[in-house]
Amino acid sequence: MSLVNVTNVTKEFANGEETIRPLDGVSLSIDEGDFISLMGASGSGKSTLLNLIAGIDQVTSGQIEVAGTDITKLSRGKLADWRARHIGYIFQTHNLIPVLTAYENVELPLLLLPMSAAERRKRVEIALEAVDLTSRASHYPRQMSGGQEQRVGIARAIVANPTVVVADEPTGSLDDETTEQILHLLERVNNELGMTLLLVTHEADVGARAKRQIRLEHSHLFEQGKEIKTAQLRMA
Amino acid sequence: MLKFFPYILKSLWRHRARTLLTVSGTAVALLVFCFIGSVQRGLLALTTSEDAGRTLIVFQENRFCPQSSRLPQDYQHTIAKMAGVRDVVPIKVFTNNCRASLDSIVFQGIEPKKIQAWRDFELRSGDFTSFASQDDAALVGIDVATRRGLSVGEKFTIGDVTVLVQGVFQSKLAPENNLILTQLEFLQRARGANDVGTVTQLEVHLTESADPEKLAEQIDQEFKTGPVATTTRTKGMFQADTLADLAELIGFVHWLGYACVALVLSLVATTTVMAVQDRIKEHAVLQTLGLRPLRIFSLVLTESLLLSTIGGILGVAGSALLLSSSGMSVAAEGVTIAFEPSIVLAAQGIAVAIVVGILAGIAPGWQASRTEIVPALRHA
Repeated sequence: MSLVNVTNVTKEFANGEETIRPLDGVSLSIDEGDFISLMGASGSGKSTLLNLIAGIDQVTSGQIEVAGTDITKLSRGKLADWRARHIGYIFQTHNLIPVLTAYENVELPLLLLPMSAAERRKRVEIALEAVDLTSRASHYPRQMSGGQEQRVGIARAIVANPTVVVADEPTGSLDDETTEQILHLLERVNNELGMTLLLVTHEADVGARAKRQIRLEHSHLFEQGKEIKTAQLRMA
Repeated sequence: MLKFFPYILKSLWRHRARTLLTVSGTAVALLVFCFIGSVQRGLLALTTSEDAGRTLIVFQENRFCPQSSRLPQDYQHTIAKMAGVRDVVPIKVFTNNCRASLDSIVFQGIEPKKIQAWRDFELRSGDFTSFASQDDAALVGIDVATRRGLSVGEKFTIGDVTVLVQGVFQSKLAPENNLILTQLEFLQRARGANDVGTVTQLEVHLTESADPEKLAEQIDQEFKTGPVATTTRTKGMFQADTLADLAELIGFVHWLGYACVALVLSLVATTTVMAVQDRIKEHAVLQTLGLRPLRIFSLVLTESLLLSTIGGILGVAGSALLLSSSGMSVAAEGVTIAFEPSIVLAAQGIAVAIVVGILAGIAPGWQASRTEIVPALRHA
């Protein structure tokens, strides 16, 4: 059984009188420990698919099952609880809370889980150490570089040990050297921590670092040049 | 929710100028609210206190200003013989201003033995014997003493009446603290007058079983054909009639109190709406991390509540400090309304601030909690 099963998902937006359909009956399965890059042109719908899997957007039709839960059936409140436990989200623009220090930003997802203060402290310290930012724990986002902010964002995404880590263009606003550092870090997250990773990017060389590369073109998914269809879902 | 308290405080501190302006605006509005409340309570105390219904005031008929009421002092003996009367206190009143004034000084000339019998106060300084043994001596209410900076041993003159302070007293009845008590005869002779034998009013103390209304009617009937006709009312009614114009004004001013509440509501709501609009993306990030919409609502509501409550506490504390240290009062025709702070008023002020804080946070909190995550994440 795959960790994530996206089955026949369609997503439509209304744009005035026009209906835009970035995803048209797409299906995809992700195994535990996978590192998948989802590529495609701007506006192709790759971020939409990532947001649907992360549970921050709703499908028009179809089903998304993550670790046995059909998240399309959850209410807003329950979906929020589910995200707290199962999703680590890495944003393109970091989106750290500006009034909180690096430590407090990383601690934020843990405040939603039943956990002692000592356990929280331990986990935050481990996460910050993993991204090599222990010395910056008390710094505010405005006191850090873009690369450092993104590393804090990664620490925040992994600190709760989520089922899936999703990253939406995590290197989109970074220079080449910092991009390499971030990609190396994401590879470590996948290899050493064994976390399942879904990365959205429009940069081919970034996407090439993933174990599986999937392209989204004309509302359909392709892997190794072949369209992924429901019948072709990879099984664990 | 407590785990997120540091985030709430830091969010408020992020726009500290806005926060401080909102808190100070709320504080000023609550200060005015409490001030108006204290005036209303002062008026209410005059008309509803225990002795307001069990004491009669005999005044000259169709007279309102104490300067123009001149009753024969020997009426006291006639009244004292009536059934239901415990005692009669003749009082000469002199005031430097008959009209409504914020610094009206009211002298009451009363025989020392009657003061001892019918005035319940504590001498904060000086002694009663010195007062009783000296013609021009005065006992000064603590609010007048504070306002005018008077202390024992000082002589002062108001409206051609010069007295020597022999004591400063504090009464449980707030309006009494705005009086200056002198000997009756001294005030009758003051300013070169020879009014011995005439008084401004007679204060009639009743027995438990006496019917105040019947007795008032009996007194007025008794003197209807006498040298000076009288109007007798309970003390509460007398004070209410005397302050009728002022009471109407105070009744109007209470709308200002409601305006203050509306002001706080709009001030806190505006600040909270601005804070929510500034943080549309931040709230979307928090939802992405797993905060429930209800928790986002609570965060915004707590921010609004904090702004309003902190402002409220400061305003209430400021009003209490101002009212207790200034000894302010307003008087008209010899009757004084004291502005006093009270625990009830403070509790009311803080309760208003809390309720307003909650109300002001509901709409912006709802807006923040209903934010669609994906469009909000694209928000600049």
